[in-house]
Amino acid sequence: MSTDTDTECACKCPTNNLALVYGALLARVWLAVRAIQTGVEKYAGTKMSDQAVNIDGKTNDYGLTAADSVKHYAMGNYHGVPEALMKKFQGEPMMLKFALPIYDKVLGPTLLVLGLTILLGFATRTSLFLLGLLYISLTWGLILIREDAGVAWLGVHMILIVMSLMLAEHNRFALTKKW
Amino acid sequence: MNPPPSNIKRRDFLARSVASAGAGLVLAAPSITRAAGAGGADKINIALVGMGKQGRVLFEAMSNIPGLHFQAVCDIWDYNRQFGMGKVRALQGAAPKGYSDIDEMLATEKGLDAAIVATPDFWHSPHTVKCLEAKLNVYCEKMMSNTIDGARAMVKAMEASGKLCQIGHQRRSNPRYRYTLDQLINGNKICGQIVNVNGQWNRAVSSSQDIAFKENLTIKPEILKKYGFEDMHHFMNWRTYRDLSGGPISDLGAHQIDIFNWFLGAMPKSLFASGGNDFFKKREHFDNVMAIFDYDTPQGGVRAFYQVLTTTSAGGGYWESFMGTEGNIKISEQTAFTSLFRESDAKKSWEPLVQRGFLRKKAAPAPVEAPTGAVVASYESKKPEGFDLPGDLNKPPHQPHLENFFASVRGKAKLNCDAREAFLSEAAIYYVNQSALKHEPIVFTPEQLSV
Repeated sequence: MSTDTDTECACKCPTNNLALVYGALLARVWLAVRAIQTGVEKYAGTKMSDQAVNIDGKTNDYGLTAADSVKHYAMGNYHGVPEALMKKFQGEPMMLKFALPIYDKVLGPTLLVLGLTILLGFATRTSLFLLGLLYISLTWGLILIREDAGVAWLGVHMILIVMSLMLAEHNRFALTKKW
Repeated sequence: MNPPPSNIKRRDFLARSVASAGAGLVLAAPSITRAAGAGGADKINIALVGMGKQGRVLFEAMSNIPGLHFQAVCDIWDYNRQFGMGKVRALQGAAPKGYSDIDEMLATEKGLDAAIVATPDFWHSPHTVKCLEAKLNVYCEKMMSNTIDGARAMVKAMEASGKLCQIGHQRRSNPRYRYTLDQLINGNKICGQIVNVNGQWNRAVSSSQDIAFKENLTIKPEILKKYGFEDMHHFMNWRTYRDLSGGPISDLGAHQIDIFNWFLGAMPKSLFASGGNDFFKKREHFDNVMAIFDYDTPQGGVRAFYQVLTTTSAGGGYWESFMGTEGNIKISEQTAFTSLFRESDAKKSWEPLVQRGFLRKKAAPAPVEAPTGAVVASYESKKPEGFDLPGDLNKPPHQPHLENFFASVRGKAKLNCDAREAFLSEAAIYYVNQSALKHEPIVFTPEQLSV
């Protein structure tokens, strides 16, 4: 017996369709948020406080400022590949040196674009596929520099992408169902 | 609470100490308060002379300062020159003129107000003198020169030209250093009698390796030769050659020995140094150097020990530590290496200073239990209280010194470290390698440390 929302899926398996729709949506939103915020963080930096320090009841004339730092976002802060990792990659014989600066430049914007398309449901499957390729490229880099924990972490992302693709037919709330 | 003009203060102090000691080590220092060049105009036209590693650091700091116009970039290496021109174009929307030869630049460019000299040390003096003679104000990186005579020539050229010449001892304009000297050491005398000074700059072997270069960027041999370099290695690694630089003691040590002299308000009366090629066997300069300077100050004798190691980080860090009977100030450009300690038996409490905002108290460390039956513990000093400076510098470390230079060019400030002031501070450093090579102490004569 089924209700309006509990219908059989295309594969004819007797499953709860609403749950699959929710599952697809959650996986999509998780991957989108992960990609967008990671992209945004590429523009993050810290800035020392501009607050002048008070000494003996008045603002000091030396230019001493509060010893706090505040996080801020600016285009000028952009680093696609973190500096510490970049140095390691540059020392890797298998790394294509000419490609590193290009990768560094496009990584952040690519994460933002793919994150947004996945969130909005624009060409969801293709976007998920491209995000998967991006994570594979990151995984390859981390294997080179023996960052095993990072490789495992990206593996979890890949599982989520694959699950999301498997749930693609239950993808609702999307701008387009194509691609 | 205005920061007093430290130069005058120091010179007055030096004059007094010299008179009382009869040492006569210091020449009378004329006041350099003249404004020049832009003469109050807002826009300052600048030539960047040398766009290597340090030139880029200075440019980044200058890019935060309003009213500067970068008119020309000069560097013998196409790679550096193109990089610098690209940076300028990105900043101000139009590319500056590029030159490989400073003489051609000075002959061609009209309307320049200032030059920023960041070439290898052995070129500092010739380039600075040329620019001063061309009636430009000059900001030149430290060390003034690789020779004391080169430094002397810079002082003379500055005074003959009537132009400004700031030397890049950037800590002289750092608010944290100025505040520490004015308010904590001289004002509130928190150290009591300063009896010893200690400073270090240690670098790991990995950070001290020769600088590599790409073959396709090699400069033509005739150009290298024209500008005093034997080959590309000589050019890229000039810091390791005796004819081109003073080595680590001048490259790194000069910054910190400058602070010894500035904070003590004195010049050393003698020096003993030791050095060796302990790891980098083929380098002309010592890779490790240690030096002890003796000072006579109005408060008594002070010994200052300085070490520069390029073969071990030894935990890392670079700092200067002023040790007094009442307290200790360990200061660095890096906040993380800065800390102040009050001796547990100091006469004055620092609590009122904390309440008035002169200092911040560090969180109390967890108590350490003495091992049972520890006889040694009875000979140890009690753990001193820890404090921090009340504030920080929220700019790149070179920016305040450059701001001071440009404000002086506009006639709105006085240089914090003009060539004469820098010479007085650097003079003793030129003798460190000599002492280490001969294994001999040097008792300075007035002539050795004067222009």
